[in-house]
Amino acid sequence: MLEIRNLSVNVGDKRILDDIDMVVPEGELHVLLGPNGSGKSSLLASIMGLPPFEVVAGDILFDGKSLQGLNIRERAALGMGLGFQRPPNLDGVSVSSFAQALAAEEVLAREAEALDLADFVRRDMNVGFSGGEIKRWEVLKLILQDPRLMLFDEPESGVDLEHVRAIGKAIGRITSTPDRRGRPRSGLVITHTGLILKSVDADLGYILKNGRLLHSGEPRAIFSHIQTHGYTVPEAG
Amino acid sequence: MTKTQSADARALGKLTEQERTILHEVGFEGEGRRAASSIVADHEVRLAVSHDAGVEIMPLAQALRTYDFVQDLMFNLVDPGENEHTAMVAEHMHDPLGVFLWVKPGAKLKLPLQTFTLLETPQARQFTHDVTLIGEGAEVERISGAAVPSSVHKGRHISVSETYQCAGSICKTTTVEQWGPAMEVYSYGFSKMEKGSSCSSTSLMMSSIAHHADRSWSILEEDASSVAQSIVFAPAGTERLISTETRLTRAGAKSEDVTRMVSAGGRIVNEALLVGEAAGTQGFLGCDGLKLNDTGEICAVPSLVAKAEGSQLSHEASVGMIDGDKLDYLMASGLEEDAARDLIVQGFLSLEEDSLPPRLRSRVAEMISRAKSGGM
Repeated sequence: MLEIRNLSVNVGDKRILDDIDMVVPEGELHVLLGPNGSGKSSLLASIMGLPPFEVVAGDILFDGKSLQGLNIRERAALGMGLGFQRPPNLDGVSVSSFAQALAAEEVLAREAEALDLADFVRRDMNVGFSGGEIKRWEVLKLILQDPRLMLFDEPESGVDLEHVRAIGKAIGRITSTPDRRGRPRSGLVITHTGLILKSVDADLGYILKNGRLLHSGEPRAIFSHIQTHGYTVPEAG
Repeated sequence: MTKTQSADARALGKLTEQERTILHEVGFEGEGRRAASSIVADHEVRLAVSHDAGVEIMPLAQALRTYDFVQDLMFNLVDPGENEHTAMVAEHMHDPLGVFLWVKPGAKLKLPLQTFTLLETPQARQFTHDVTLIGEGAEVERISGAAVPSSVHKGRHISVSETYQCAGSICKTTTVEQWGPAMEVYSYGFSKMEKGSSCSSTSLMMSSIAHHADRSWSILEEDASSVAQSIVFAPAGTERLISTETRLTRAGAKSEDVTRMVSAGGRIVNEALLVGEAAGTQGFLGCDGLKLNDTGEICAVPSLVAKAEGSQLSHEASVGMIDGDKLDYLMASGLEEDAARDLIVQGFLSLEEDSLPPRLRSRVAEMISRAKSGGM
């Protein structure tokens, strides 16, 4: 579904990502771990086409087609969605009016409770949300949007343990459930703590540091390694 | 058919189908849904009818002959020589065009009352003068508006209104104006709010208009309170000059005045002055502007003058374009760019607030949407 080939990304003259290769097949959930400032959020923003990131080498393909030249809206229309780490406040725009604009009011009514957001429908999007509420809302927002490729930017940071479990369960559930047209989904979660791995089963993990992918392998093994050795390359065997 | 419905039917019979349609767009209702109604069309008071013993409504010329005190209310809050326009209106003082509205002391109107102005003749000149007296302890909701048929592009309208809210009265108003695209309109509103009276007003200025100057002066006495919100829109070719002056003259007077302006190529100037003349007064001015494109202009000038210690006044003002981060966020979340812009603009205008009737909310949203796509 998502294929990243030799991707290098700049902001201005500064290299942010360097020679990234990654494939997220249909139906799989992958997790990218890395320290703060390693380029994780930049990778998701580059996939989604957000400014100010500029692809200077390589390519990103979705369903085998290059995303080069496609704007944010066109990428979303292909079936890609991003749960933001720090979404902007949208004063006056309620959660329910957003759901209405997406023709997803019924989904909102059905899914909000599972993320403990049932009383959010009249609140303005992201305005006055706590850190944990923002993360839960971003997951719910993706459920309303119904993309096939779900990108999650630090979904558990700033969230209490109880809600990390709820978010993890929600991510696992929605990425393993087909979209409303019956097509399989995929997901890519980025995290610097790895805590989300306690409540979600991922198929493949990566370590990203200084804009380069150092390693890929079994996600929980990577998480254990990072806890004891930091963001380094695990020894073979 | 009830007596009220019968009176309505006779009154409505004086309106053409087109007139009813035009007026309905700015809030007009008939058939027993209003306590009283008036319509000034071109140079006559076409309709002035009350269905509630608590309210009288009649042509101002008739009121001058009927009640001695009306002459003392007319040009009492403003001097005829205030400016060239008030002077023009004053030239017709002997036979004024406009209505006198009197809500009797203690009356609690169950239904809203409505007052409208129509300009139906192209290139017409219309000078109106309305006087409103809301008696002590009365409670009333007023819906007013102005409109032209689509065939009228040019014309000139000058209006003066004087409103007296007596002690303890409560008034809620909604005003919608929809003039012709090449018209010149000058509106002057003067109001005096006595002890303990309160007013909540919503004003919509949405349509294309060549030049609209809207000026209002308010005096709030002891414990009087006013909450006003205005939504002002200027598509390309529109100029709106808004000026408000609110004087808090006695302790306990409170005022909150919020104006939200959207320019889609037009020019908006909003000058708001709030004066705290006594200790224990509170006031807030909010002037926020949103530009939908690189053309046009929004100028927000809130001013505060505290003349007495203990007068608490504050303001906020902002003017800017739609935030690119918000647009990107909504588009990344699955919305088309136009839908994302609409949602942001509607949010900016707080169109979900309960104070705006749902029909007007959707109409504002529709007009902004049309203007953005060049449909206005």
